[in-house]
Amino acid sequence: MSEGVPTSPGANKSPVTAHKPFGPEDETALRESLKRCSPSTFEAAVQFRKTNNAEHVPAVVIGVIERFVEPDLRIKLKDADDDLRLIEDLGIDSLTMMEIVILVEDVLQMSINNEELRNLRTVGDVKTFIDCKIRGLPLPKPTKFLPIEHIGTVMPIQPPFLFLNEASVSSTSANGKYKITGQEFFLQGHFKDNPVMPASIMLEALGQLGVLYLLEGAPTEPGKVVSPQTIFFTGCEGVRAHRICKPGEILTLSIKPKRMKMPLATFEGAIRVGQDKAVIVEELTLTYGFVDAANAPVPINGNADVPPAVSTEAAPSTTPLRAAINA
Amino acid sequence: MPRVFITGLGFVTSIGNDAATVTANLRALRHGFELYPPFQKPEIPCKVVGTVKGFNTESGDPEDWTFPERYRIKRELLRSMAPNGLFAHCAMLQALEDARLSEADVSNPDTGLYAASGGSPFLTHFHHERLLKVGVMRCSPLGIVASIVGTLNFNLVAAFRIKGSSGGFSSACASSAHAIGFALDDLQLGRQKRMFIVGAEDGNNDAILPFAGMRTLSLQNDPNLASRPFDAARDGFVGTGGATVLVLETEEEVARRGVKPYAELVGWGQASDGHNVAISHPDGQGLLMAMRNALRHAGTAVADVDYVNAHATSTLIGDISEARALKSMFGEALPRVAVSSTKALTGHGLSLAGAMESAFCCLALRNGFVPGNAHLTRPDPECAGLNLPRTTEDRAPRIALKNSSGFGGANVALVYRRVA
Repeated sequence: MSEGVPTSPGANKSPVTAHKPFGPEDETALRESLKRCSPSTFEAAVQFRKTNNAEHVPAVVIGVIERFVEPDLRIKLKDADDDLRLIEDLGIDSLTMMEIVILVEDVLQMSINNEELRNLRTVGDVKTFIDCKIRGLPLPKPTKFLPIEHIGTVMPIQPPFLFLNEASVSSTSANGKYKITGQEFFLQGHFKDNPVMPASIMLEALGQLGVLYLLEGAPTEPGKVVSPQTIFFTGCEGVRAHRICKPGEILTLSIKPKRMKMPLATFEGAIRVGQDKAVIVEELTLTYGFVDAANAPVPINGNADVPPAVSTEAAPSTTPLRAAINA
Repeated sequence: MPRVFITGLGFVTSIGNDAATVTANLRALRHGFELYPPFQKPEIPCKVVGTVKGFNTESGDPEDWTFPERYRIKRELLRSMAPNGLFAHCAMLQALEDARLSEADVSNPDTGLYAASGGSPFLTHFHHERLLKVGVMRCSPLGIVASIVGTLNFNLVAAFRIKGSSGGFSSACASSAHAIGFALDDLQLGRQKRMFIVGAEDGNNDAILPFAGMRTLSLQNDPNLASRPFDAARDGFVGTGGATVLVLETEEEVARRGVKPYAELVGWGQASDGHNVAISHPDGQGLLMAMRNALRHAGTAVADVDYVNAHATSTLIGDISEARALKSMFGEALPRVAVSSTKALTGHGLSLAGAMESAFCCLALRNGFVPGNAHLTRPDPECAGLNLPRTTEDRAPRIALKNSSGFGGANVALVYRRVA
């Protein structure tokens, strides 16, 4: 019988179960472990260990992260939103991440394995992750990195009208890249002797990233999946193009869902070239719909792990963005 | 082949944490020994250590350490350091300032770093204990890089953004002398324009006490008597830790930057005893060959050497081997060569010794003095014929030879020349 199973407390009177009462020695050990954290972190950890109430977890996690962040960057954690990135914003490298994990494990009496760690990119990811672990909930979908082969399999849109070379999709955002090769058919005429990526196509690319998000990242209802045949463009607001983009340049695309309410999904989106802003979209809205997972089309390659895809014949009739944006 | 000069020094040693203090103590023959508190227990028969002052690295957690205010070191860097890494980092900062090097001078493909330390037995032990206590998956993620041999170069190369050659040497007490020798090769072969040499040791219980089993540690409890190389009453060496950094640069760089070097490094040589894992050859055969090789490389005649900074650690066997090697080496010229072991003042720095004592030679060459043999009252009869000055001589040596010997019979000799 496993000692750590929460559903059978006291079934096995072992002195080292994770759920024995929180005694004075535990408090001393906890104080030592958290000696470089704020007093409120220690208090939250004590409360959690005494009550097992997951409400205290965020304060502990933020307190532990804060302890490992260089003092001049700690201010960012003061009123951090969940999008604060561990590496880029807080300077936390993978080794510091391990230090954080080991201390969190120690303080919250839990174990985190390597695979779980790879998906934690933001403060929000960490908080959600620990919270799910503590409550015994299923973990959120990790960020998926999709190579071009996978994108082609999943998307209703196909070459030569697919403007994503690679993408990553999480439950809160999608990012992608597209290199303007110069061989795109429309560049022959846009413009004469002066190939410039059309702004409308750049919006199309952002829309395609939205489609990918709906298919790969968006939360669904139990037993349902988003049907590629149901996704269409409905609207676009606050579009600004900041610079022209030429062959050889790499577009870095990003979208984030702002509102998701069946049948409308609204995103904010941006395209950058290096550090330069190229296109900003305040709102880009797609319609979508669910089908029963059981009735979803069989993936082309027959791999059950790959989400449903449509056949290539269906593609022309399900490229709403082309119709809408190029109109 | 380009000439090579020493243009900067940094010290964290038992006799001082900056060049000025070290120079003053070398001249005045003031030692850095103390009754080391962790040794003052009935079960530990050796009592004296050449202690590093102004640093407290007793804790296995670097965030507990204290060190002089002038050094600001981020947690990100500190967390992967051993005590010897902290000493070395501080010595490195001094050396960069001393050599007036800009960030660009330090971080470029033509500038490298060679280091030597015995790693940190202290942290190896600490982290392994922790691993057993808290579980394999919760041992410190930086325990390895903080403690294994190589910790010095790992940390310094990353912290100072070194882009050229890097690596470490592990020939025990000859390690940092080897580092200097191979750095000289790199510079003369045109592979690098500037090299940092770093020697460092923790100098604590775990670094020193394991030598007790070999009966090589002095059991003297008087700090004024414990380390006395070449003396008939010597009874073993006194351990020490700390760090020394030397900046080696080609003549082009010296000219380009317009700095005044301490000394010129004109040659080096090495040879091995091929004799015993820990005991030096009774006649110092390897050391003799190393000295000959060094002078040949330097193009220097035996008669031109006027100072030898000996390896002599104050052990019974080692000092005699070196004395015999010196006699064979210098023959008739022996009386004209002043020989001293500055380990009488600092104790034996193990991997640090070659770099630290090379830096002492640089100070002696620039400031014009020959450090005497502290604590030497009655030379061992085997040392008869050696010129062992008891007091510091106020004359500038022209050529200083630095000897280093390590376990396995590794021997290195380095030749330094005074810069006019």
